[in-house]
Amino acid sequence: MPEELLLEVKALRTYFHTARGKLAAVDGVSFDVKRGEIVGVVGESGCGKSVTAQSVLRLLDEKHDVSYEGEIRFAGSNLLELKQRQMREIRGNEIAMIFQDPLSSLNPVYTIGEQIIEAIMLHQKIRRKEAVRKAIELLRLTGIPSPEQRVWEYPHQLSGGMRQRVMIAIALACEPQLLIADEPTTALDVTIQAQMMELITELNRKLAMSVLLITHDLGVVAETCQRVVVMYLGQVVEMADVASLFARPLHPYTIGLMGAIPRMDSDRTQDLQAIEGSVPSLLNVPSGCRFAPRCAYADEQCRQHMPELKRDAASGTMVRCWHAGTLAEAFEATEAAIATETSEAAERAEEKGGVQHAIYP
Amino acid sequence: MTAFIVKRVLSLIPILFIMSVIVFLIIYLIPGDPARVMLGDGADEATIQQLRANMGLDQPLILQYGQWMGSALQGDLGDSYFLKKSVSAVIGEHLQPTLSLALLAELIAIAIALPFGIWAAVNRGGWADKALTAYTLLGITIPGFLLSMFLVLLFAVQLKWLPVSGYAPISDGLWNFLKFLILPGVSVGVVMSSVIARIVRSSFLEVMNQGYVKTARSKGLRERSIVYKHILRNALIPILTVIGGTFGTLLAGAAVVESIFNIPGLGQLLVHSVSRRDYTVIQGLVLFIAFTYVLVNLVVDLLYAVVDPRIRLNK
Repeated sequence: MPEELLLEVKALRTYFHTARGKLAAVDGVSFDVKRGEIVGVVGESGCGKSVTAQSVLRLLDEKHDVSYEGEIRFAGSNLLELKQRQMREIRGNEIAMIFQDPLSSLNPVYTIGEQIIEAIMLHQKIRRKEAVRKAIELLRLTGIPSPEQRVWEYPHQLSGGMRQRVMIAIALACEPQLLIADEPTTALDVTIQAQMMELITELNRKLAMSVLLITHDLGVVAETCQRVVVMYLGQVVEMADVASLFARPLHPYTIGLMGAIPRMDSDRTQDLQAIEGSVPSLLNVPSGCRFAPRCAYADEQCRQHMPELKRDAASGTMVRCWHAGTLAEAFEATEAAIATETSEAAERAEEKGGVQHAIYP
Repeated sequence: MTAFIVKRVLSLIPILFIMSVIVFLIIYLIPGDPARVMLGDGADEATIQQLRANMGLDQPLILQYGQWMGSALQGDLGDSYFLKKSVSAVIGEHLQPTLSLALLAELIAIAIALPFGIWAAVNRGGWADKALTAYTLLGITIPGFLLSMFLVLLFAVQLKWLPVSGYAPISDGLWNFLKFLILPGVSVGVVMSSVIARIVRSSFLEVMNQGYVKTARSKGLRERSIVYKHILRNALIPILTVIGGTFGTLLAGAAVVESIFNIPGLGQLLVHSVSRRDYTVIQGLVLFIAFTYVLVNLVVDLLYAVVDPRIRLNK
């Protein structure tokens, strides 16, 4: 049943209680993850994507800092209504999570084997000997060489990529139905990043495990996800399947993020495009459209009134922008222009004696 | 691990050597001739010279150090001029009370500081945390002798549960031994506990923000396992440091508390020896105290390595 909903987030609001009042880091976010699917959540730092991810497992400090509103439905129950005791049965068992920085995510004073075994024995009634064997199996599955020896090593004896593999092994310990990967490759170098994403997609296919992938990298999304949620300042601004998002991005923020991806086929002498400014603080959320202050296309309507998340008739994409349709057409036109321009440039370069020579004379 | 221990122990040799030189020289930095001071104003020149020769003070400095150190290495720290006994024997007699008091006080301090500090950190900002702040503030500001007086007034004078002062060795029976030590132990322990509890709290708060604590939570562990398995062991290094430091200080003899409770410990011995200018005892005692301090630090260092594998393997 590939279409069955596994996780359904409905109008989630996550509030942080600070000295300056109650701030909604996540402000009415809704999306869902189907069984076996990889869904990407994209946005800049501070857009609330990590908070959304941690809200699903309720990892934030509810005693002091945080309160939730809305609904997070997972396998029939609303996670926000569960007691901590019930929540613990779900954490690591039904939903597992891996984090951004594998360096600090593993406890330095215990062996990696101990940390995997702990996760296994917490949720499964098996003997320690059995758990050790399983831990070694998991290390092998995640691509760690000679796992029989590695299992008794400490985190500081492993490289960054290896540590993230260990984190994945811990996450897989109880064969969760959903893996939340919170920027799993940000702290790793590029070649390791690719290996890691390959591993995650492979596990997704092999184990039919859904993945909620939090990232700021649209390139990673394009390669791995089926659907994508674009977030800006605590809200969903665009939500679509990956193919239509890349073919026809509707929100100016999404278009901006795409412009910020370095491309192999673009003119290397040109500066990388960036979105002007940075995400405003939650303390002064703009009235009207939240992206308006940084948007080149914003007009009076945008500054005064907040647009609703609406379905675009042409592509089925959900988008939160007053000018969604017109902007998309402009984007398609420039894309087409860039495409012909680069191919012409390549032809010209060919005539001059090779691309390399033309760029670095 | 063995290599680590050997390295640590070997590194003590230069420290101990430098320490012994400083202790030895202290006597010569004090103004006045030891023999003259010891014999008092009325002594005639011949007796003074006689004593100087007996003490070896007429020989070159380097030779004196060599002789002193040579016999110190064999456990002979010279003889006390006043007590007419060997310095090692004198230290031995006064060691048991000090060691007993130090152990009891440290245990009391840890028993208060560890749970209280953890409790405050886990409920940071709550009333447990505020209570700890008040407790540590009181503990640090109230002088040990004042607290001792209050305790004596309440438990010894008013309630008559415990003796006012004195000491009995453990061979007199456990209760006899303990009843004299409880009040001084508590008054030293409470002061120490406020120092340790602050470190426990801050160390815990720091570790609680680490990524692996979030990982532990995301595995579905209970809060209690997270605190005692994942946080405690990582927070332990600064806690061990301060426990070692306070214990080292206590082994030097809590002179004030020992005086109040009339406990014949090293602190009292040191104070008395200074007032009667018993140089050999001062020298031997300071050397012994410095040595135990180094030893305590060695133990703390080795415990670091037990707690944290990174220390074990790196150095």
